[in-house]
Amino acid sequence: MASRYAFSIDLDRCIGCQACVVACRTGNEVASGDAYITVSEEIRRKDNGFWGSFAHKRCFHCTEAPCVEVCPTGTLTKVNGLTAVDMAKCSACGYCTQACPFHIPHVVDNHVSKCVGCLDQVQAGEEPWCARTCPSNAIRFGEREVILAEAKAKVAKLRERYPNAQVYGETQLGGLGLLMVLLEAPGVYGLPEAPQSSATIQTWKTLVKPASAGLTALAAGVMGLAFVFARRQHAKEHAEVHTAAPVEAAVVETPAQTEENHD
Amino acid sequence: MTDVKPGMVQRYKLAQRVVHWLGVGSFLILLLSGLALLVPQLAFLAAGGLSRVFHRIAAFGFMLMPIVYVAIVPHDALELLKESFTYTLKDLKWFKHMPAYVLGSTKGLPPAGRINPGQKIHHAMTFVMFVTVAGSGLALWFGQSALGPEGLAIVLSVHDLSMLGLTVLMIGHMYFTFLYGALPAMTTGFVTEDYARMEHAEWYESLSPQTVAMTESDDQTAA
Repeated sequence: MASRYAFSIDLDRCIGCQACVVACRTGNEVASGDAYITVSEEIRRKDNGFWGSFAHKRCFHCTEAPCVEVCPTGTLTKVNGLTAVDMAKCSACGYCTQACPFHIPHVVDNHVSKCVGCLDQVQAGEEPWCARTCPSNAIRFGEREVILAEAKAKVAKLRERYPNAQVYGETQLGGLGLLMVLLEAPGVYGLPEAPQSSATIQTWKTLVKPASAGLTALAAGVMGLAFVFARRQHAKEHAEVHTAAPVEAAVVETPAQTEENHD
Repeated sequence: MTDVKPGMVQRYKLAQRVVHWLGVGSFLILLLSGLALLVPQLAFLAAGGLSRVFHRIAAFGFMLMPIVYVAIVPHDALELLKESFTYTLKDLKWFKHMPAYVLGSTKGLPPAGRINPGQKIHHAMTFVMFVTVAGSGLALWFGQSALGPEGLAIVLSVHDLSMLGLTVLMIGHMYFTFLYGALPAMTTGFVTEDYARMEHAEWYESLSPQTVAMTESDDQTAA
């Protein structure tokens, strides 16, 4: 296995045939009505004109993945550059749906739903279903360095016709595991130029979460120790009160005994 | 509720005790099921949404608690709310003695009313954090899709920190309960006159003569 895999999608080659969508749903046995990847035809506005493109909505497999950061159950993890999904662990809390800067993960049937990178196929030495099926060779998969070099070479050629052509995802969020060959600037495709991992989520994860658990445990420990001392102190005081006042001792005796019964 | 027990005074009515234990039960379920998403070793409890089922049922009971309280004993509920947010200069004197009180000594402790100043702070903080924990919980339950990354992180932080506060308050609450043997107040509803005199002298003094007469069988000098 390679150490760091990546997909690439060449929007110059994509013919919008939906073969990848069908292959993905079939190969991964995706529940009816759900899909890990979608391809749609979009009309976009550019330079006061209109222009069409295919839009691939699917996981970008970020290296510094906000969904992995926020996942509390270990369902989402990074494996060889891909964002893997362990469905059995998912609690469907939905935190990933809010953390993802690309709005990719969604919750279906009580678990997360997004591209799983076909890790089972890859580990068996096969290509992911979408790359294997694409008839126009627009979807590629392999060692990230190789895929990136291939995409850059394609962009160099495209620049003759499309001066704004570029590879999307080389550096964003630590480098995306899905590189897009774009004919225009990312904004034209509705892609964020610089997707960010939320600093507030980082604070929550590295500070608030451990502090909540840790301080509770600390408080319980300190109070446990103090209790032993305080209980002894109070027992002593209780005894003093009852022996220091012999006149009242007789009348106080009854409630004192009652309290002991309750202890 | 009108039980008369020699040497004992009633502190909480049946309705108040029922509301208290409804709160305890739902809070503990909320705490344990919530830990499934906080402690990685407990994450298996969350798989398939199992812990969420318990969390939401308990959340319903927890949020119902103040509503039930106001519905069945409105006078007591409002009195508790009022007392918890009313502080006097006298309370300052009590707080000076609080460190000794924490360590088991009631010597020199200024006489306290039905709710001592420490309990007032405890209740006031509980009220505030009840609102923040329930509010952030409802936001996660019904408004999650509108939160976005920043909103999610803020709401989760408020939820976690409120639970940190409430759990520490609960541990402190149990600490004083077992230190001063006050558990019967919430089980039978009655405390010993001894306890009432040592911990809540003003309250004990203020009890109507009938209440004291009813509960005191033969002790005329105690008060």
